[in-house]
Amino acid sequence: MSASLLTPETKQAPMKSKSKFKLGLRQWMAVLPYVAIGFIGIAVFVIYPMIRNIMISFQDYSIMPNAANPWVGFDNYTKVFQDPNDRFLIALRNTFLNVAATVPVNWFLAIFFAVLINAKFVKFKIAFRTIYYLPIVTSWIIIALLFKYLFADGDGGFINYILHAKLGILSEPIAWRSNYWSAMIMIWLFHIWKTVGWGVVIYLAALQGVPKDLYEAADIDGANANQKFWRITIPLLKPITLFVVINLINGAFGFFPQVYFITQGGPMNQTHVIPSLIYIEAFQNLKFGPASAMGVMMGLLVFVMTYTQMKKIGRQKMF
Amino acid sequence: MNKMRKAALTVMALAMVFVMAACAGGNGGNSANGGNAGNGGASNGGGDSAPKVTIEYWHTYSDAEEVVLTEKIKPAFEDAHPNIELKLTRMPYEGLKQQVIAGVAGDAAPDLMRMDIVWVPEFAAQNALMDVSKLEGFDELKASVFEAPMATNFYNGGYYGVPVNTNTKVAIYNKATLEEAGLTEAPKTMDELVAAAKTLKGKGKYGIGVSGIHAWGLGPWFWSLGGSITNEDYTKVDGYLNSEASVKALQTIVDWNNEGLVLPVMLGGEPGTWDGIVSGDYLMSDDGPWFYSTKIAEQEATGFNPLEQTVRAIMPAGDGGSRSVIGGENLVMFANSKHPEEAWTFAKWMLTEEPQKIMAETGLIPTNTTAADAMTTMDIPFVDTYVEQLKTALPRTPIPQWGEVEAIFNLAFEKAIRGEQEPKAALEEAVKQIEAILK
Amino acid sequence: MHTSFLNKFIVYAIIIAGALLFVFPFIYMILTTFFLGTNTLPKPDQVFSVKVNFANYVTVWNKNNFVGYFMNSVVVTSVAMVGSLFLGALTAYGFARFTFPGKELVFRIFLLTMFIPGVINIIPQFVIIKDMGLVNTFSGLWLVYIAGGVIGNVFFLRGFFESIPKELEESVLIDGGGNWRIFWNIYLPQSLPALGTLAIFIFQGTWEEYFLALTIIKSEAMRTLPIAILMFNDKYSTNYGQVFAASMIALLPVILLYVTFQKKFVQSGFNEGGVKG
Repeated sequence: MSASLLTPETKQAPMKSKSKFKLGLRQWMAVLPYVAIGFIGIAVFVIYPMIRNIMISFQDYSIMPNAANPWVGFDNYTKVFQDPNDRFLIALRNTFLNVAATVPVNWFLAIFFAVLINAKFVKFKIAFRTIYYLPIVTSWIIIALLFKYLFADGDGGFINYILHAKLGILSEPIAWRSNYWSAMIMIWLFHIWKTVGWGVVIYLAALQGVPKDLYEAADIDGANANQKFWRITIPLLKPITLFVVINLINGAFGFFPQVYFITQGGPMNQTHVIPSLIYIEAFQNLKFGPASAMGVMMGLLVFVMTYTQMKKIGRQKMF
Repeated sequence: MNKMRKAALTVMALAMVFVMAACAGGNGGNSANGGNAGNGGASNGGGDSAPKVTIEYWHTYSDAEEVVLTEKIKPAFEDAHPNIELKLTRMPYEGLKQQVIAGVAGDAAPDLMRMDIVWVPEFAAQNALMDVSKLEGFDELKASVFEAPMATNFYNGGYYGVPVNTNTKVAIYNKATLEEAGLTEAPKTMDELVAAAKTLKGKGKYGIGVSGIHAWGLGPWFWSLGGSITNEDYTKVDGYLNSEASVKALQTIVDWNNEGLVLPVMLGGEPGTWDGIVSGDYLMSDDGPWFYSTKIAEQEATGFNPLEQTVRAIMPAGDGGSRSVIGGENLVMFANSKHPEEAWTFAKWMLTEEPQKIMAETGLIPTNTTAADAMTTMDIPFVDTYVEQLKTALPRTPIPQWGEVEAIFNLAFEKAIRGEQEPKAALEEAVKQIEAILK
Repeated sequence: MHTSFLNKFIVYAIIIAGALLFVFPFIYMILTTFFLGTNTLPKPDQVFSVKVNFANYVTVWNKNNFVGYFMNSVVVTSVAMVGSLFLGALTAYGFARFTFPGKELVFRIFLLTMFIPGVINIIPQFVIIKDMGLVNTFSGLWLVYIAGGVIGNVFFLRGFFESIPKELEESVLIDGGGNWRIFWNIYLPQSLPALGTLAIFIFQGTWEEYFLALTIIKSEAMRTLPIAILMFNDKYSTNYGQVFAASMIALLPVILLYVTFQKKFVQSGFNEGGVKG
């Protein structure tokens, strides 16, 4: 993406020694017809609610339309950390665990399946791609209901039925949602199953752009499939991998339906993530102040962590 | 060339969507107009000169209950009050509280809502509800209904709703499993139940039907075993939730669970209580009248006859007697209702004998005392036990902070039952946290 | 050098196993829809011996005004999809083809908003819609869906637009066309694969959206499909047979749309820009 491609207006209006301000103004006037509606929409429905959020995080907020909502400084923030059950910190820990547990698996499965499906001799590529992508196009709520049913406790749940009653891998059926680690594993499996198809599709597209002759040359050198995968495919796909991984991380940070519809944060508030905690705090306990404070802190955290990557993310191409 | 064709196709497809949307938009408009026209027509037909007022009523009645509501209640009310139109909106359960909050915050709440009794103090504390105790006719209404359900509307010196129906849970036993445990009738005491559960344990079945770790699931057991949450007027937890009797009650539940006598569903396992009772893997559980209304409705599909194949009784008595938990819904009016007068007219009417009897047909227990008395002569097969249990049933603490208090309560019980904390320590810690919230 | 039969076999075995893993839950779900009275969940061995019948589908289709909600969803989703695509493309075009002061700053602020959990934005959004007098209208819903989705869509499309070769514009410029013609005649047709992909994302996201639809739409007659589905999730119990039957019906249009659009999906666009970028 060279800069020269981005400046058609300079052709139309060659730079003279006008003031920078005037030029900027003209540039804005030129682009405004295209972005004005979008900017207004974003300002009204995205930026304004966000500013409200930040304001509420410093207020003793009441849901009544004309309430006074007195300013309380950082009270809501301290309240979040004074919670005797440390729910915010647990949610924070879980968020990082979710990233650590799902991103590598998700990434590996995506590239692995994509490379296999892309093998020259494989027929019905499109059929495979369609099937792998099915979970993506299905609603979170429905899949959550389905997973709760598949992971039901006792031998009545399909997973326990297979692993315990049929194969005997488990000595007794697992009560998946009743224990911390099994609930987390269930959440992760749910997330991975639901989203791995996205990575597969992206990588499949990316693989179309990998020159075939490189593989042929490797064949002549007698490289095996494994070597070709690690020495040719992975390095060549590096830019797309960056894009995929960033998106996977962002997705793993944003767990909400995964937790809210599966465990509601249980057992004992141990599986909460920040968005699900915010939802519960605001819409169950009517504590909008602390809920907003959590949102602001989460936003800041992600911002700080990704700031250095922002430029890359912004410029990264989808395909 | 190919690309051009694709582009043309896409443009056509987009154009079609626009046309479709336009048509549909037209339809939407029409139906809205149609609705208005309908209103106008109705009021003309009534020949009433007073302008017709529409009041909106949010509810979460079940399928069967909704039929009665729309086919009997609505016409009866509109006949009695021709200048009021009752607009019924059935809300889904998922995200319901969020809907109420958005409605209140956006000044777009309905006039009335049938709301779970535990929400009333919470929304009253937000000033979202109207204090009805000063409205005309309230005292008569109050005198005509049961005291305990009425009390769930009390907050800060006023009443923020009226009880529209009440319910509780009773012990429901699988008849075959009961016989398998060597009993011919439902256990009268906790000791008898525990003995039966021990017999069944050898057969891989579960006997003690605690249905979940929350106040609704634990309440009947905790109270029957002698535990308590607060003092009589709900102002103190210290000395109640952590009293010796409460610790002992919790300890008993913990011991039962350690012995493997309690349903796995208590800790979120399977089968669910209904599945377990139907299959006979569970001896019993406590549940509301909807168990019977739902199971009777689907009897044909499942082949399970709840009246023949189960036995019901009031909760087995322990140190605290036979206790259950009061559930049910209150009819509340929102503070920003546009038609408070008409809404109040409906609320008063809904609590009179006739509508209460109509709703009772579905198994909803009336709060109107005359209607409840009349129920005994109506042919509703399962309701007797519920009415009897209501005499000793207790409400969950009716305070605005109940949502948070319950979260703490649940956590303490879960920690004790899972063996992460001693019952005494768990309850002491809960008391400390709850006192901090109540302050 | 040809791939040996054994290798082929292994590769096929793995990808077919993968496919089964993704398809199986759906099959299990479909089998469950054949059970009646599923407030009690069927056991796995029962599930595999169930007789096919469509009673639940018939019940669901005739209950809770399901057909009406289905049509509402079609209208809401199609307009939101077309609107989002158009506005997203237009704004992305602004970012991709123009320079203006503060462009990257604005873009970064936009990106930042994507990281802050928006679960409680629903209240201020609803208040705005209410102040505009659009409560209980599809227009209100469209506004939030379209405006709320712009950032994500611009993020998605910008890089793609930037990879469109400038030479293509020359024909338009020679004809005396301006920026609009370039957008309409070059950028949109050139990016059909990306727009198609995005269309599916938007369609699916809108099609399943529940909380906002329930908040803004107050009248029962105007509700959308996810609300109808969760209506089968009763207060007292969930009738899984009916919930899943309703879900299957809801899933069909998305799958149909996906299968239709997916041939154009992604690949062609990638060759032009992706790896190089």
